[in-house]
Amino acid sequence: MRPQLTGSFGVFAVVLAFSPIAFAQTSQPSAPKKAPVASSAQTKHLSHDLSGVWMQYDDGTAPGFARMNGVDDRTRPPLTPWGQERFDAAKPLMGPRAVGGSEDSAALHCDPSGPPQLLILPNPWEIVQMPGRMFMFFEEYHIWRTIWTDGRPLPKDTDPSWLGYSVGHWDGDTFVVETVGFNDRVWADLSGNPRSEQMHLTERYRRLNHDTLEQQIIIDDPKSYTKTWVSPPKLHKLEPKWEIAEWFCASSENQVYDKEVRKPSGGAPAEPKQ
Amino acid sequence: MEEAKNKTFDACSRADDFFSPHFYLPLFLRQKFFALRLVGSLAILGATLAFAPVGFAQVDKPSEATKTQDQTAPLSHDLSGVWMQYPEGDVPGTPGMNGVNERFRPPLTPWGQAQLDAAKPLSGAKAVAGQEDNSVLHCEPSGPPQILILPNPWEIIQIPGRVLMFFEVQHIWRTIWADGRPLPKDPDPSYLGYSVGHWEGDTFVVETIGFNDKEWVDLYGNPRTSTTRVTERYRRLNHDTLEQQIIIEDPKVYAKPWVSPPKLHKLEPGWELAEWFCVPDESKEYDQRVRKPSGVAPASR
Repeated sequence: MRPQLTGSFGVFAVVLAFSPIAFAQTSQPSAPKKAPVASSAQTKHLSHDLSGVWMQYDDGTAPGFARMNGVDDRTRPPLTPWGQERFDAAKPLMGPRAVGGSEDSAALHCDPSGPPQLLILPNPWEIVQMPGRMFMFFEEYHIWRTIWTDGRPLPKDTDPSWLGYSVGHWDGDTFVVETVGFNDRVWADLSGNPRSEQMHLTERYRRLNHDTLEQQIIIDDPKSYTKTWVSPPKLHKLEPKWEIAEWFCASSENQVYDKEVRKPSGGAPAEPKQ
Repeated sequence: MEEAKNKTFDACSRADDFFSPHFYLPLFLRQKFFALRLVGSLAILGATLAFAPVGFAQVDKPSEATKTQDQTAPLSHDLSGVWMQYPEGDVPGTPGMNGVNERFRPPLTPWGQAQLDAAKPLSGAKAVAGQEDNSVLHCEPSGPPQILILPNPWEIIQIPGRVLMFFEVQHIWRTIWADGRPLPKDPDPSYLGYSVGHWEGDTFVVETIGFNDKEWVDLYGNPRTSTTRVTERYRRLNHDTLEQQIIIEDPKVYAKPWVSPPKLHKLEPGWELAEWFCVPDESKEYDQRVRKPSGVAPASR
């Protein structure tokens, strides 16, 4: 595993030049990104190895939204009229606007999730890095995404999709992911804040130390929000012994659950959206 | 058996094999006969394999792609890439959805037969328009072996200790653990099962158990249960060709192992898997807008 890097730049640069930086070995190790030149006073450089199974720290800073505030309500800018309309129509599963018996979250319908909502759920997820590409695997709904790191630009006019199209690059110690090409069928979070087809999502990752990954989510969606929505970074803990378990949302199971639990408890059934 | 020994594993000669009796033999038995011919080159072969990237710790050498028909050359252990079935259906030119091949299915047990009789497939001889009930109509997740036989692009990625497979169908991915671990003793039933893989010479062998019974092994209703064991055998015949064979064992359902003929997949280097989710609400909307008006039953439970 990546050691804490203290000591001289020279040693560090040599180590980086000869290490595969945790990319899977294929026919040749990927040319390591240049060691970030220290432009700040810091003498320590952070690892470019983000691989591993990660789990959000339980910081519970947002009341009622335990550990699911990677997209943080409290820093949300004002909504546009379109955004407000979508927000008002949304019927979240929890939080102050939730109404028992009237919930209509996409999760109830086994709709796929996508970024940024997918990134804030409190379930294990995994990063696998390879030359030109990074994979993220999410235990929730068994979803995976590709982030292209081969230098390609974002597509100009891509069809709307659940996951969007993602590219990533290193900016010093920070791995920056940019995603466009979303559809508007997933909320940006769990409260019903919208995600439109115009959203440009930025994620910033830093491996602060061996066991800690910092993740920050920045939303630019002029159709929904009047300004950029910058949420505070969240910390994730490395779980070296974990393996992502299988977890699918199967609508047949949803229906059984309706029958045996939701309806008897007075909650709304998972009816199809109209 | 002489015939089998002399045949090279290429797409053209393969076609004739499908209906020859010796083709019923599992691949490993046929390979044994090949080994006899290789006596003279075993020393070389052994030396090469000793330095070859067995077990995915490294794939230092790029795939030795050019050695195709030469049986004495070891095949590449690099299976990575986006693959697509050759259109080798049982009817020439049709999409090949016969990686699990009905024609080679052993007899069913009485229990298995009852399950098959109750199944309402989407296609094939037993399909009745208006009564189809394949689990995929409901966006239930698809897993091995059914997901392996659908005619859509899929991708293999190899990393140390692990082989990942990604399927365009339903945006599904699976992990095959190639770090030497054994199959679990008592896995919970799941859609994808639990898979481990290892190399046997040129063949990457995947074994999977721990399935649930919510999906068929194929598109026709042949059952998959919690006692089903699926073995897949992969060989990269040459740079552009991956051979895949599927073997199903389930004494609860099938009187004998079900060994299907291998299928060939073509490398598609310019392709990237597109996003394709099965969304239950979209399925229901399709029912409203297309299936019902056309007179076919909706995909309701």
